[in-house]
Amino acid sequence: MHNRALPYLLTLPSLILAAVVIFWPVVDLIQIATHDVSRFGQLRDFSGLDNFAALVADPDFIKALLRTGVWTAAVVGGALLVSIPVAVILNTDFYGRSLARVIVMLPWAVSLTMTAIVWRWALNGESGMLNSALRGLGLADHNIQWLASAATAFPMQIMIGILVTVPFTTTIFLGGLSSIPDDLYEAAALEGAGPVQQFRRITFPLLKPFVNIAIVLNTIYVFNSFPIIWVMTQGGPANSTDILVTHLYKLAFRIGKLGEASAVSLVMLAILLVFTAIYIRLAMRGERA
Amino acid sequence: MIAPKLKRTIIAWGLLAPLVVVTLFPFAVMFLTAVKPAQEVLTPSWWPSEFRWRNFYDMWVQAGFGRALFNSLYVSVIATVGAIVISIPAAYAMSRFRFAGHGAFRQFLLVSQMISPIVLVLGLFRLLASFGLVESLNAVGGVYMAFNIAFTVWMLQSYFDTIPRDLEEASWMEGGSRWLTLRKVFLPLCVPAIAVTAIFTFINAWNEFVVALTMLRSQESYTLPIQVFSLVAGRYTVEWHYVMAATLVATVPVAILFVWLQRYLVRGLALGAVK
Repeated sequence: MHNRALPYLLTLPSLILAAVVIFWPVVDLIQIATHDVSRFGQLRDFSGLDNFAALVADPDFIKALLRTGVWTAAVVGGALLVSIPVAVILNTDFYGRSLARVIVMLPWAVSLTMTAIVWRWALNGESGMLNSALRGLGLADHNIQWLASAATAFPMQIMIGILVTVPFTTTIFLGGLSSIPDDLYEAAALEGAGPVQQFRRITFPLLKPFVNIAIVLNTIYVFNSFPIIWVMTQGGPANSTDILVTHLYKLAFRIGKLGEASAVSLVMLAILLVFTAIYIRLAMRGERA
Repeated sequence: MIAPKLKRTIIAWGLLAPLVVVTLFPFAVMFLTAVKPAQEVLTPSWWPSEFRWRNFYDMWVQAGFGRALFNSLYVSVIATVGAIVISIPAAYAMSRFRFAGHGAFRQFLLVSQMISPIVLVLGLFRLLASFGLVESLNAVGGVYMAFNIAFTVWMLQSYFDTIPRDLEEASWMEGGSRWLTLRKVFLPLCVPAIAVTAIFTFINAWNEFVVALTMLRSQESYTLPIQVFSLVAGRYTVEWHYVMAATLVATVPVAILFVWLQRYLVRGLALGAVK
């Protein structure tokens, strides 16, 4: 404690690195988004909110925005519905429990890119193994072109999104369940409460803070998730599976509308900051309790 | 009358069965396609007529796997070593000092953790381009380093907090300097936590997609995810048996490492975040 500057010196390198790599780009994006970027031939450098106005007028952006909402809500909600029962099951004592745990955690261990590539092949219309499995089981009598239209591609992408979100969510809930003391259940059983009542009256209320945290964290991750959709369909066919991140990537690196791409980035940052603020509030409340 | 545990086992596995099937399905697809002879890949049969292990060797040569593997290792090692070296002092300061800005730094970490590279990808590209660093594996490693700092500081701090101060205080009483105590007493106790954090950072960098996709434009600098993606994207004929062999080789070692260490990740995050 001799040197009062010491803690600042110790944290400085990490601050500088983050400032250069994270905050410099943010400032740069604000610059581009509020300026004309050599596209209209106008020399007026500051264009205010024109790029944002162009976004709002672009039906592809609005569709991608709405689809991002559907994507995020469906994946986060689906993962929640799957993970709660899975966590409750994994928290009971049965033969092969550690094997079951490993299997449930597996999708987390594989990179999203690789998962998406494997599914892209498995969903191949002509020779994909999902079609041959479905036909072999008598569940389908013709090949389904899974990725050829959004009506089948997008639900599949949501399903894969749920699958890769379940491990993390289940892990959070297992942590929550292990904090519930067993005597609560014993007391409830003595009072004659059945398993369903025990779940509704004990498990679920005590799990609720963990559910909240899982919802907020998953919302942030899923909202930002790029590889599944990009690898499987690149937002296609005809932009029909685009979400904000893939729309942003196309604007920036395919079409070259840098101003609008930066505006999308800033809109996403704003949404993320709201989620983060919610998370910080939830986490701080947890710490005080 | 069956034993209650046996009954529970049947119910548990029965309920988990759909999830287990859907989880294992891609692994089955990956493995079975990888070992199929080339002419059987496009016929919709499940089981290969013979296991063609040579596919792995051919893939390695044909798909330029070796170089991509080296690039991935290179980038991930830079990211990991850099992130750990920068995070240890920060996490130590967060754990052992009370200073103005302590809370602000914590919140700063949380916020930067929430921002993923995809949101900033255009700005990141322009940042690297302005220094002429597009195509630079070192620069990509640096970007990974920066995006992992929040995670590594968070993990390390939550572990450092569990180490009792008495040990360090005892060493100070004996006349050991702060630096000596840090080196001889504190850090040796933290080796397991540092190792686990380093491995997760490594896996994060190993799996990263969008930054590599954007910054690395030529085959010589592709990392594994980009290399495998380039075998699939925008091609009329995809040699799926090679692609699946490549995903398998790129995935399995890291997956085993992850499953083995996953409980430490949970413990570390739980100590810090989900109290």
